Amino acid sequence: MANTVQRPVEVYKTSAITFWVAVFAALLLQTVLPLKLSLARLIDVPLLVTIYFSLLRRNKVSAVGLGAGIGILQDALSRGPVGPFGMAKTLVAYMAAWASFKIDLEEPVTRFLLVGFCVLVHSLFMQGLERGLLELSTPFEPLDLASAVLVNVALALVMFQVLDRFKRLA
Amino acid sequence: MSSLNLPHLDRPVQAREGPERVGAFVRRHGPFFVLLGALAAQLMLLSLQVSRNHNVRWIKLWTVMAFRPFQDSLHTTVDRTSQVWTRLHGLWGAERENQRLRVAIVTARAQVQELSQRAAEAERLRGLLDFKTRLPFPVVPAEVIASSPGEGSNAIFIDKGSRASLTTDLGVITPEGIVGKIIAVFPYSSQVLLITDPSSGVGCTLEKSRVQGVLKGDGRSLCQLHYVMNEEGVSPNDQIVTSGLDQIYPKGLPVGRVARVSGGSIYKSILVRPAAALDRLETVLVCLKPVPVEQQAARLPPR
Repeated sequence: MANTVQRPVEVYKTSAITFWVAVFAALLLQTVLPLKLSLARLIDVPLLVTIYFSLLRRNKVSAVGLGAGIGILQDALSRGPVGPFGMAKTLVAYMAAWASFKIDLEEPVTRFLLVGFCVLVHSLFMQGLERGLLELSTPFEPLDLASAVLVNVALALVMFQVLDRFKRLA
Repeated sequence: MSSLNLPHLDRPVQAREGPERVGAFVRRHGPFFVLLGALAAQLMLLSLQVSRNHNVRWIKLWTVMAFRPFQDSLHTTVDRTSQVWTRLHGLWGAERENQRLRVAIVTARAQVQELSQRAAEAERLRGLLDFKTRLPFPVVPAEVIASSPGEGSNAIFIDKGSRASLTTDLGVITPEGIVGKIIAVFPYSSQVLLITDPSSGVGCTLEKSRVQGVLKGDGRSLCQLHYVMNEEGVSPNDQIVTSGLDQIYPKGLPVGRVARVSGGSIYKSILVRPAAALDRLETVLVCLKPVPVEQQAARLPPR
């Protein structure tokens, strides 16, 4: 594991309460917000939480567990089968954890570019799963995809600031 | 170290390095294998549900049961908050609409007032025009632009003067009755002495009895008819018209009505209420002198 570290990096952590409240609140908001706000259908709060904690902990194995856990819970709350969100978030969490070793994530621009890229990968992976495995004829809307990336990055801008208040050096 | 004592382990170095290298590779890329494992496990779970219709309802059931109370609470909270917000927004909107409507009402009232004034003016001008067309002598319409300054002022200014061919001693009338006569003429205005001024004098006739007299103002809002003998029959509300003898007002124009009558030593004391509303004059007609036929012929352009 030590070999993967390319440069001295600071590892942060949050309290268990913060972590569970964040995860729970993200899943809860994801189920309630779209009922009240049409824009919320573009937002994926659990994905942002997954990315945030994966970046924070800089641990690929725990990131995989986190992504899979949050994704499966999101699958369980959705109307579809269990698995697509789990797989997509597992992949994105691993990517985020890998990137946290490679690039300076204290730089806000880099951080939000990474979030945008992760949202893009997540959406494309979900599209691929739905078309390839689940044989759902979901239309591909590039404009929707671009909007989703922008909206999630904008939300991440606020959410990460809030969550940063609860982090401390491990 | 022990391999030196164990012949079966005494193999070439390359052969011994193989498993170590594999172990090192696995250790080095352990997280990646964890990722692959997690993805494979979820893919299998997904395949079970899709291809074999395997039910994983328990995962959904537990999750939904765990989240439901919180979803209910959050939904209720969001619902109530949005209701409160909607009401507040509605109140705010109502307040703004109220203000807008108040302004609209004030504007509408002003418009109604203006339109009423215009309608009244139009009505008045129509009456004046109608009156003018019925008159057997030429008239010039004029607007009252001012009254003479001073308390108990019995003179007004009109907006026509010498440029409109006005001269002094021309009678000024309204459809209701006579107003006064021009006492001063300027290029674009004239001063009119009202019949209520004590220095004015109008030759009058009592319409019913045809008795003649001279009307003079009392300095306030009424007039007095002089030189009517005590034995003449005059009663209140009798109509008084111009006699035409003063060479100012054409004959037969309404002057006013008898307000009060009482006997005197020789002449009756007759108080007259003017027919024209002298305190709210706006538009008047100036009676021009009829042009003699000879003068009219002289004014015609030469052929």
